[in-house]
Amino acid sequence: MALIEMREALRQALDEEMTRDSRVFIMGEEVAEYNGAYKVTKGMLDKWGPKRVVDTPISENGFAGLGIGAAMTGLRPVIEFMSFNFSFVAADQIISNAAKMYYMSGNRFSVPIVFRGPNGAAAQVSSQHSHCVEAIYSNIPGLIVIAPSNPYDAKGLLKSAIRNNNPVLFLENELSYGDKGEVPEEEYLVPIGVAKVVTEGKDITLISHSRMVKLCQEVAVTLKAKGISVEVIDLRTIKPLDIATIKKSVEKTHFAVIVEEGHLFTGIASEVAFQIQDGCFESLDAPIARVCQRETPMAYSKALEKETMPTIERILKTIETTLSRKI
Amino acid sequence: MIDYSFFPFDREKTLGDIGKEGLTQALQKMLLIRNFETRAEACYLQGKIGGFFHSYIGQEAIQTAALMTMGPKNWWVTTYRCHALALLLGATPEEIMSELFGRANGNAKGRGGSMHLYTDRLLGGFGIVGGQVPIATGAAFTISYLDIKDEIAVCFMGDGAVAQGAVYEAFNMAALYKLPCLFVIENNQWSMGTHLSRSHAVDKLAETKAQGFGMEGYTLDGMDYLSCYAGFKTLHQKILTDRKPILVEVVSERFKGHSISDPALYRSKETLKHAMERDPIVLLKNLMISKGFLDEETFKEMDKKMREIAVHAVDHAESSPWPDPKTLEQDVFAPSGRS
Repeated sequence: MALIEMREALRQALDEEMTRDSRVFIMGEEVAEYNGAYKVTKGMLDKWGPKRVVDTPISENGFAGLGIGAAMTGLRPVIEFMSFNFSFVAADQIISNAAKMYYMSGNRFSVPIVFRGPNGAAAQVSSQHSHCVEAIYSNIPGLIVIAPSNPYDAKGLLKSAIRNNNPVLFLENELSYGDKGEVPEEEYLVPIGVAKVVTEGKDITLISHSRMVKLCQEVAVTLKAKGISVEVIDLRTIKPLDIATIKKSVEKTHFAVIVEEGHLFTGIASEVAFQIQDGCFESLDAPIARVCQRETPMAYSKALEKETMPTIERILKTIETTLSRKI
Repeated sequence: MIDYSFFPFDREKTLGDIGKEGLTQALQKMLLIRNFETRAEACYLQGKIGGFFHSYIGQEAIQTAALMTMGPKNWWVTTYRCHALALLLGATPEEIMSELFGRANGNAKGRGGSMHLYTDRLLGGFGIVGGQVPIATGAAFTISYLDIKDEIAVCFMGDGAVAQGAVYEAFNMAALYKLPCLFVIENNQWSMGTHLSRSHAVDKLAETKAQGFGMEGYTLDGMDYLSCYAGFKTLHQKILTDRKPILVEVVSERFKGHSISDPALYRSKETLKHAMERDPIVLLKNLMISKGFLDEETFKEMDKKMREIAVHAVDHAESSPWPDPKTLEQDVFAPSGRS
């Protein structure tokens, strides 16, 4: 095992898959000569050359579509968005072409493509660089949506995503690129569509994904000291959703709180909550609660940014209400 | 009227190059398209075909010439007005008609309909105006990536698409990366009901726009099969040799509304009548008769044969099974397997 940063784990996944399959290439803004806006692709141009590590103009709609066309004709592109906020100008290509092609063409053309890059809030980048896109894209049949929380999962899931024959949105987080974690020396894959219990507990289930998993794990530590045993589930893949793992946990704990960095209305938490009540309503001893980003565009000021995002304090308060118990 | 300067070519030499056989094949294909569209339109008006139906009538010479000059072994991309290109690339009239009827044995299993037809080399009829142009650029990227020397990507778009942003992003990247792509603007004069002059600040779309991307831009007469043939043949060779994209506008006029449900009230009868005087099928027929390659009787025979094929396709579609509702949720995702 080696202790490596998230960005290194992602780079290893890209590098290994490019070694394995000559059809895999990376394309995006600043991925080559600049070595990646967040250094995920550092050194890759030197190793692979400009044919397989391709800088683009600032044309997300264009290069997303180019990638889809390349995927339909036999290549396996990995398209980097410098921020998933910029994927909005490519939404037509992602939604109308990538997501629908295999079904719409009567199985004639599949679109094996990965769109990856940082999602959600960073540090004070205001409204247009902080949006969480997973709820928007998870509404589209035909897309796989992945959001890992740690280097191990990031590497294993990115490798699985590149090998998958469908369009995958692979959501990273700017604030997590420097996070370190243990990654095996030998090759491994993490399967798509499988959630993971990252902290075992018996009193309440916390369900989250991406960077918010860390907050949930901190909450679990805090509450353990107070005699409350929290189970934390990392979704890892948002779509397809692994409801079985969630259900198993809620049947054990009887309480569920969902923590999501994205907005409240029609968020991932809404869907998870619905599926919990659909699948194990009778196991619940209290209404399902959620902690999400409040219904505002992201403000720039630190004071406001903190207020709109889920925090440890808000999670603790929500757990208190859910368990009807003073913490 | 716009004073176009069409791509210059030697008519007699082009006629000689194509020969009687080649012209006969082209005429036959154009008649198949015309008859297919005519029968399918009748079915649409009877309520047997749903959704949107965009007829290619009036534009037959363009894609026929493209196919005859470049051959099927390229990557082809087009708009929702896609019945003709699917036919030209070998989709059978039966499978296309079945698709229009929404049947299980349709070209796309009854999931795509009129706007989304495919072959092993046709990446689709695309439904969002301009959205297909980056896709074709990606196909050209693959050809370049795999270093395939004898293929190009051919991308059709309407004059309306030339107002879309995706198109310019694609033009820029195709030129920047030197991708073997022929971008064809089929100017049928109308972005739905909005005339070219009310959609675009400039005319001569290829010649003006190409310059900004360092591409060559040309104009062809879309009603004249020979103009299309000579132009496509030269430009195809140029792309194979130079390995960079070219933009071409083919001036045409559709004879029907934007879709069949559009009565085209925005176009005067005189304008349509004037356009139809240059019906590409009639022009080709007259040319062939004047050269002694064809007589009226043979033409009628050909037309009748193509009509029978279209009628047969309708019969086939009508007697074909509906998709089993149990299959509804199948194939949203491609299976894993060779990856």
